[in-house]
Order: sequence, then structure tokens, then C-alpha cells
Amino acid sequence: MSLSESPRDHRPETATGETGAAHAVPPPGPSAPNVVALEGVTKAYGPTTANRDVGIVLAAGDVLGLVGANGAGKSTLMRILCGVTVPDRGSLAIAGEPVDFQRFSPRHARAQGIRIVHQELSLCTNLSVTENFFLEDARIAGGGPLWHAHYGRRARRSIDRVFPDAGIDVHARVGDLPIGQRQMVEIARAASDPALRLLILDEPTSSLDSERSMQLRRYMEARSGDGVSFVFISHKLGEVVDIASRIAVMRNGEKVWEGDSAETSVSQLVDWMGGDAGRELESHHADAGARGRERAAAAREPLVRIGGDHLRGAGEQALVLHAGEIVGFAGLEGSGQREMLHEVFRQARRGNVQCLGSVGFVSGDRRREGVFPLWSVEENIAVGQTGKRGPLAPLAGRGELGRIDRWLEKLRLDRERLPSPILELSGGNQQKALVARALFADADVILLDDPTRGVDVSVKRDFYDVVRELAEAGKLIIWYSSEDIEFLECDRVLVFSEAAIACELRGEDISEEAIVSSAFSEIVEEATPAAAGAGRARQGQWRQWLFRVAPFLSTMVIFAIIGSMNPMAVSAFGLDLLLGPAVPLVLVAAAQMFVVGGSHIDLGVGAFAGLVNVVSATVLVAHPGPGALALLALVAGYGSLGALIEGRKLPAIVVTLGASFIWLGIGYTLQESPGGSSPAWLSALFSWSLAGVPASVVMIAGAGALAWAVNRSRLGVVLRGFGNNAQALSHMGWSAFTYTVARYVVAGVFGLFAGLSLTAVNTASDINASGSFTLLSVAAVVIGGCRLVGGSVTPVGVVFGALTLSLIGALLGFIGISTDYNASVQGALLIGILALRTLVGQKETAE
Amino acid sequence: MSVFFSWAAGNRWIWSAIGVVVLWGILSVFAESFSLQSLSGVLTSTAFLTMVAIGQMFVVSTGRGNIDLSIPSVVTFSAFVGMSIIQGSVAMVPAGLLAVVVIGAVVGSVNAFLVLRLGIPAIIATLATGYIMATAVLLANQHFSTFAVDPVLKTLTTGKLLGFPVITLVSLVIVAFAAWVLRTRAYGRSLMAVGQNLRAAGLAGVRTDRTIFLAFFTSSVLAAVTGVLLSAYVGGAFLEMGKPYLLQSVGAVVVGGTLIYGGSSTALGTFFGALLLVLIVTTMQIAGLPAGMQDIVQGAVIIGVLALAGDLKAAGRPRRRTTGKEAAGG
Repeated sequence: MSLSESPRDHRPETATGETGAAHAVPPPGPSAPNVVALEGVTKAYGPTTANRDVGIVLAAGDVLGLVGANGAGKSTLMRILCGVTVPDRGSLAIAGEPVDFQRFSPRHARAQGIRIVHQELSLCTNLSVTENFFLEDARIAGGGPLWHAHYGRRARRSIDRVFPDAGIDVHARVGDLPIGQRQMVEIARAASDPALRLLILDEPTSSLDSERSMQLRRYMEARSGDGVSFVFISHKLGEVVDIASRIAVMRNGEKVWEGDSAETSVSQLVDWMGGDAGRELESHHADAGARGRERAAAAREPLVRIGGDHLRGAGEQALVLHAGEIVGFAGLEGSGQREMLHEVFRQARRGNVQCLGSVGFVSGDRRREGVFPLWSVEENIAVGQTGKRGPLAPLAGRGELGRIDRWLEKLRLDRERLPSPILELSGGNQQKALVARALFADADVILLDDPTRGVDVSVKRDFYDVVRELAEAGKLIIWYSSEDIEFLECDRVLVFSEAAIACELRGEDISEEAIVSSAFSEIVEEATPAAAGAGRARQGQWRQWLFRVAPFLSTMVIFAIIGSMNPMAVSAFGLDLLLGPAVPLVLVAAAQMFVVGGSHIDLGVGAFAGLVNVVSATVLVAHPGPGALALLALVAGYGSLGALIEGRKLPAIVVTLGASFIWLGIGYTLQESPGGSSPAWLSALFSWSLAGVPASVVMIAGAGALAWAVNRSRLGVVLRGFGNNAQALSHMGWSAFTYTVARYVVAGVFGLFAGLSLTAVNTASDINASGSFTLLSVAAVVIGGCRLVGGSVTPVGVVFGALTLSLIGALLGFIGISTDYNASVQGALLIGILALRTLVGQKETAE
Repeated sequence: MSVFFSWAAGNRWIWSAIGVVVLWGILSVFAESFSLQSLSGVLTSTAFLTMVAIGQMFVVSTGRGNIDLSIPSVVTFSAFVGMSIIQGSVAMVPAGLLAVVVIGAVVGSVNAFLVLRLGIPAIIATLATGYIMATAVLLANQHFSTFAVDPVLKTLTTGKLLGFPVITLVSLVIVAFAAWVLRTRAYGRSLMAVGQNLRAAGLAGVRTDRTIFLAFFTSSVLAAVTGVLLSAYVGGAFLEMGKPYLLQSVGAVVVGGTLIYGGSSTALGTFFGALLLVLIVTTMQIAGLPAGMQDIVQGAVIIGVLALAGDLKAAGRPRRRTTGKEAAGG
């Protein structure tokens, strides 16, 4: 994205916990106003115009097909309609009522019944289908424990309404579903909105098979009969002509045609999409083409070789790209062009993609892949050279930058701007700096990943000139663009389709029409359902199952060993002795689990349990009333950590680490040396047995059940949702602040129970007694099968993870190893499990 | 005034330096017991903390919330090993130092391997190696017999040069070297690039793996060397002697003005941060605050500084998260 765009594009959600009020939709009468009327919309990103004077009017029951080549402005228009983006000019009326764009947000759009299904899904992959339906609208089911069943029925009904006999297990985790089924859930969820007026479907059929596409089509027909409108965006033009009643064609930010779908045909649409707009650039491009062909004739040494699976069609020779060429990677977005750029970047000397020269990479995704935000322009350029040097090599001096003076001039990057912070520059100038970086690094091959995204026409023209001169200077330029017109700059264009190169265009064959039509002709209208994907999913499920039972198995193995060495240990009395000390750890681990569910880590929870231990063994014994209040205040204090972390966007690790010292300090202040006693009622709680089952076993089971129940409750679902897809939840109206506080309150409550159980088990308090619990709780959570990122938590696994860690000490004692080895066995277990996960392909880090 | 603020934005160490001056002034005016004697005590404590914190700073600089949690165990373990090898004999000092450097090198390399090759988040990886080291410490403790300190390390840690603790000079040399590397050498630039934007750094040709490896390596080696020096200073090794260095090293880094999310670091600031933390502890001791209160204040200071620094960070870096397609208009 461009950093130059105005910040008001995305207003922060000031959401309260509720989703927007659903208005009852009045049935469409004969005089009903248009569902939406978007008129005269213009939106510029810096100097680039994404939409110019575009209008769309939808009456109730309209099905509008929206088509256009990559970069034509469809997505921007839809973002404006959904309240994500604020246009520079234009008006919007929903159901006849004008909308103030400054107040229009995704939440408002939802409340007005405007829904969108994106290519990037808004489901939480760590939640079940049912739970995702719950997040969609939390108010429908009344109270009571049966809400799960209610939403399960609702999910099944909603899916069946759109996709009869879909056979989707509504209790399955969304992440375990094949991509096609996920898409179906996403569509069905948006369609189930009772306030639905307009449903925007952005490439809905890209991962659906023909039968499901047909069902979707029938559903749209039925609903449009009821007055619901649709916008249907697809690259499968035949489908668009079939489904839509009207079609609008966009090109270069403008609407170039709109009319009845019966009046047009696929070939006509392709014509309009790649037609005669943008003449200005084209004349420039024609000139470029002629010169390029001369150069191609004189192409020199081979630098990149692509072969094997990357080529479609049998018996083809490997493609060789030479120095001095400009090669375009074309095709629909996401057809493997980017992946190929990164393959080349790896500079493999052998294999299917070989690269024999040094490589520079220029990404158009400046924020994520380009800019170092804390640095000046100069530093941003120079890193291209210094990063490659030895650690103690000096930095490239200011003088060294003089080496690329010539290019800076060609790029029209003012030398005066070099010392300014890079973020003060416009997107276009930032992009120039990134090009300068690759030039400064003096690479043989320059990879361009959609480099002109969001930059204005004049910058583009400078850029094209520089690219051409670079090729003349003997560089190989490989260029991926999301705007097909830019490929006219190239000597050769490789058109990608489904992760392989489908065809090659050379010289005069390169035209926008040729690229559009070859890219589109490659689209098989009946996309095959991902059979391979299903196989992979099954394998993934098997692995997940293995990791789910691993903590349980390890606990059982330890028990078996202990039991075989000393049968007394597995008697009721022995169990109580073995498991009593495990109760606090199980509870601390549960507290940690809720924090990890939000992709945080808590380094203070052990100390917190220790403080509760001290308070409950001293103050609570002497003065039950104030003691209880103090404990409640502690839980509130724990919640305020959440407020600090979310409100100030602080790293949870450091805040909780700092807080741990506060907990310890309070503990020391209250009680300098171990002592105190357990309140009688608390001790009594831990010294009974139920039909021969000792209290500690019941307590552990109870702790596990409580954690399981909270995790499965509505609160737990929202907490896990935030851990997985916070942005989607905020768009739905859930408040990140409220739920981060709630997360830490829940953790605090479990920490409270942990501290109380410490008091009961030890019948005394010691602020240091729980010192090792923090780290053990992290280990228990990891061993228990939780993911540190992404909100996947497993309460039962965590209980057994904690038991395993707790029993390791006893086990070492039984097999005659000093308990000094306790910690290292625990550490090795932690590393071993994570290493195993990496080996089977579940990396913890997202990157 | 605005000139100062814009200068301070690029020199964040100034805030901790101002804090030091202010607190120092208050102490000299109000606390009669704050003599030259306690001054050298403050400087010595600062020296040990600084050395550990410089290492922590390198790890924090790699970004994404990376922190080295294995530091306390490394400090303690190398204190035991160093004391046991040297046994108070000057001849064994090189062997002892070599041994602790090897300990640091091994732990640092293991941490880096876990992070880079196994993709384990830094805090979990260093947590796990810390566990394993904890056992090593317990075993070392069983065989620990000597409290003799050799004259060389004794002089190094307790001696004075022109009234200035020698160990402080040593720590200042380390600070100067770290500052030199960070400001003027390719490694410093690579480290800041990795901390700001790992993807962009890789695409810009920075050797990201080597950069991150060296950060963990440096952190562990510095912690190990500090451990043996600390044991010479206190005349022995004991369990948990490294424990305070976990929070305090992170605290010195953060208070000194290094960004906790990585990408911008200041060695000088880390030194002043360490000095400020030690002064705060000293002040509390002079004021007769109980140990518990001292912990509370330390924790609160670190959280408070973080909360305030949030504004600086927000000014320097866009925090908005939007999809990459935003401006494409596709």
C-alpha cells in the first residue's frame, strides 16, 4: 500500500461490544428507493486516481456484474461502498437516505445491510463454523447454556439455504475445512444477515466447483426475487454474463460501459476491459516496444533459467532470460508471479529456477517489504550495499552514494531530500528510493514486484525510462505488475496461470488485449475442487490429533513408569500425594492459556499466584472481609494490565514482567519470610475424597472443566477470535479494548484460584514458592498443544501438559535421578516438542 | 525548545541522562549518607548491569518483541564455572575466562539455532535454554568449594584508577565499542534493518540470519563474562545471583531509549538507563525502603517508561495495519 494515502481512509473502530442494530428491511414496494446509489465517486491515492467519477445505482433485486482487468479500480469502489475507504468526492445514498462518508464505517455499512465477501476471508480459522456464526451476530440466542446448539442449527440452516446438501460439519474448525468449504461458510454467513440488502461477492467462485457455483447462482436468483441486491465480481466472464442482470466494465479507474448483460458477450467484455483507454501511456509504450525489440536481438549472457514444473505444456525447453532484457510476469493476480520472483531471488545455482547473477528486489508493497520507517532516505538507499558487507565493515559514506548520482538524476530524486526521513516522502518518491537501493547494490538482475503501485503517472514515466536505460546498461529486469498496460514496456511477457507459465508473448505480439485474453482464456470455467487439498487436510488432521493426545500420552507414560516402580503411588493416597502439588500449576497454566489465546505471553502470572498465596495465608486468615476485598482488587489490577497493554499498545511480555516485580514486592512487603496459615475452609476444601477419588484429582478435573467451559463459552469464543483475526472482529463491532481487559481478568481469576490452592496445599505462604510457575506455565501451554500465535488453545491438553511437567520431578525421584535435573528435563521437553512441530511443518512464527 | 525536542527525538539517551542528573542532584543535596564511597558502589553496580544490558539490547534490537530470558542462568552458571576453574590462582585466569566465553558462545548459538532454524519464538527458546542451564547451575553448586578470588580479577572488579572503579572503565569501553558498531559499522546497520522490517531487510540483501545470530551470541557471551566478573567482585558464586539481571537488563534497555520493538538502539542510553536504575535502587536503600517496596518501584518505573515511550514510537512509525492491496485500486 501507499504510505501517502490520507489517514482518514481507515477510521479506527470505536466499537462497543454490540454489533450494529439490525433494521428490519421494508419489503420492496413498487416505489421503493434504490438500495444504493453511489454517484460521482472519485478517489485518488496521492496522485494516482483509483476511481474517477464512477457511479453505481442498484435497485432492489438487481444483480450487477462488475468486471475489469487488474488495477481497474473495482476493489476501491467496493471498499468505498462498504465504508472502508472514504472517497475524495462523490455521494452515497442507501435506501434513499444520503450517507455522510465521514461517519460511514464498515460497522455502519453492516447495520444498513451491506455485506461483502472478500477473497481474503474474514472467518476466524481457529474457531468452529458454529462459533463463527456466533461472532456474526451474538444477540440472537437468548441466555442459557444451549446457545451452542442454537448457533449450530442456525449455521446449518444458513449454509443449507445457499448450498443445499453442503455436508459441512458445523462443529469442525474452519481452519480444518478445505478452502472451498471455507468460502461457502463465508458466503452463507454474510447471506444469513437478516438485515441484508446488498451482498457484494468478490471472486466468490474462485474456489467453488461447478455444482456449488450453480447453487450459489440459484440462491442469488431466489434472493434477488425477494429484493436483495448483489454485486458479483469475477474473472470468469462467462459466469458473470450468465448470472448478472446488468454488467459494469471498469478500466483505469473509470466505468467504460454499463448495460444489460443480454446485450454483451465475453469477447466484447474483454475488448472493453483492455480497450482503448490510457492512450497516453500507450503511445509511450509503443515507442518502448520498438526500442526493446532492437535490444532483444542483442541480448547477451543468460542470467535466469526457468524449467520443470513451472512451464505448462509438455516437452518445452527451459526458458532462458538474458542480460539486457525486460521480462514481464503477467497473469491474473495470485497466479504464481510473485512466488516466481521470490524463487529467482533465492539465487539458486541449480534446480528448476536458476539465477546466475546478483539480485536486487524492488517491491511495490513499500510498507511491508520496502521501507525502513525509522531511517532517512539516504540510509534506506545505502542499506542495499552495507547489508551485504562483513559485520565490521564501515558504512557506505555519503561520497559513495555519488556512484549512483546519474541514476538519482534520472529518477528525479532530489539530492536535497536524501537526509529527510523516508516517511516524509510521497509514495512515489519512496519507490524511487527503493529503486535507487537496488541500483546502489549494483545487482545484475533487478526484480520488480508491482513497483508502480500507487504512484502517479509522471513518476511512472520516469520509472519506465530508468528501467529501459537499465536494460540498455546490461541488467536483466524481471517485472511483475498488477496493471497489464505496463507489460507493453517489456521485451517478453510470460503469462502465468495456476502457478505455471502458460504462454510467452514476444515483441509485437505484446498488447494489452493479448495479455488479457491469454490470461482469461486460461481460466477454466469449471474450477476443479482441490482434491490434493483434501488429502493434505486429512494429513494435517492426523498430525493435529497426534499433538492433541501427546500431553495425555506423556502423562500416562509417566504414571505407568511410576506405578510399575511403586504400586503404592497409584493408590488413592499415593495419587493425592503425587497430584496435590500439581493443582496450583494446572491453574496457573490455565491462566497462561487464556493469555496465549490472545497471542500474548504472561511473565508475571506465577508471581501473581504467589502474591495471592501470601494474601490468603495472612490477611484473609486474620480479616476475612478485607482479605477477600484485597483479592478482588488484585484481580482488578490484573485486568488493568490488559487495559495498559491494549490501550497503549505495549508488549505484553515486558508489561507482565514488570508487573511480576510489583506482585513480588507487595508479597515481600506483606510477609518477609515464609509463614502464615491456611484458612480452615480452604484446607477443608482440599482434604476430602469422593468415593475414593482424592480431592486433588477432583480439583484438577474441576480446574480443567472450568477452563474448558470458559474457553467454550461466548466470552471464550470472542477471546479466541481476537487471538486469530482481531481486525475482522473489530469490523464486526467487538471491542478489542474490552476483550483484552476481559482476557486478563479471566487470567487473573485463574491466577487467584492457583494462589488459593497453593495456600491450601502448602498450608502456609511463601512469595517465592511460585517462582518457577510462570515459566512452567508457558511450557505447559506449549506442551499442551496450544499455538503461541493465532488463538488456538486446548484446555484439556494444557491440564495434561501441566501434569506432565509437575510429575517429572516425582518420576526422576523414582528412577533415582537427582531432582536437580528437573528443570533441564522440562526445558528439553519444551524444545523437543517445538522442534517436532517445526519438523512436521507447523512453524510457530507467522513469518 | 523545539530544537531540543527534535534533537532529542534522534538522541533518546538524553532522557535517561537527564534522569540520572536530576536524581543525582537530589541525592547529593538531601542524602548526607550519599558519599563518595556509595558513589563508587553505584558505578560498580552500574558496570555489571551495563554489560549484561548491552547484550540484551542487541537481542531486543532484532525486533518482534525478542528478549533474551536465558541471561540470568548464564550469569549464574558462568560465575560457578569461572570460580571453580580459577580457584584463586592467577595462572588459571585465562583458562577460566576462556571457559566462560565458550559457555556464552554455546548458549548464544543454541538460542540462535532454535530461533532461526526451528522457528521457535525468542522468548520461548531462551526460556528453554534457561531451564537447561538452571540444572547446570544446581549441579555446579553441588561441587562448588572455593571462595578464593585471584588478584587479577579482584583488581579488575574492585580496583580503582584515579578514584574511578576499573570495572566501570571496562564497561564504558564495551559501551563505546557497541556504540561504534551500531553507529558506524555495517553490522549495526543490518541489525537496525532487521529490527525495523525483517522482510524488507532480507529483500534488501541484508544477511538476516547472520545478523540475528550475532545478536544472541553477543548477549550470551556478555552475560557469561559478566558472571565471572561478578563472582570475583562478590567473592563467590551462589544460586540465583543472576536473577536480578532479567528485569533490570530489559529495564535498562527500555529506560535508555532503545525501542522495545526493535530497529533503533542506543548503547549510551543503555548505560544511562542502567545507571538510572541503580540510582533508583540506591535512593530507595538510602531512604530505607524495604526490599519489597524497591521491587514495586522498579516494576512500576519500567511499565511507566514503556507507557510514556509509546508516544515516541507512534510518532516514528506508522502502526496502522492495512492490507497490502490498499493502494492498488485493483
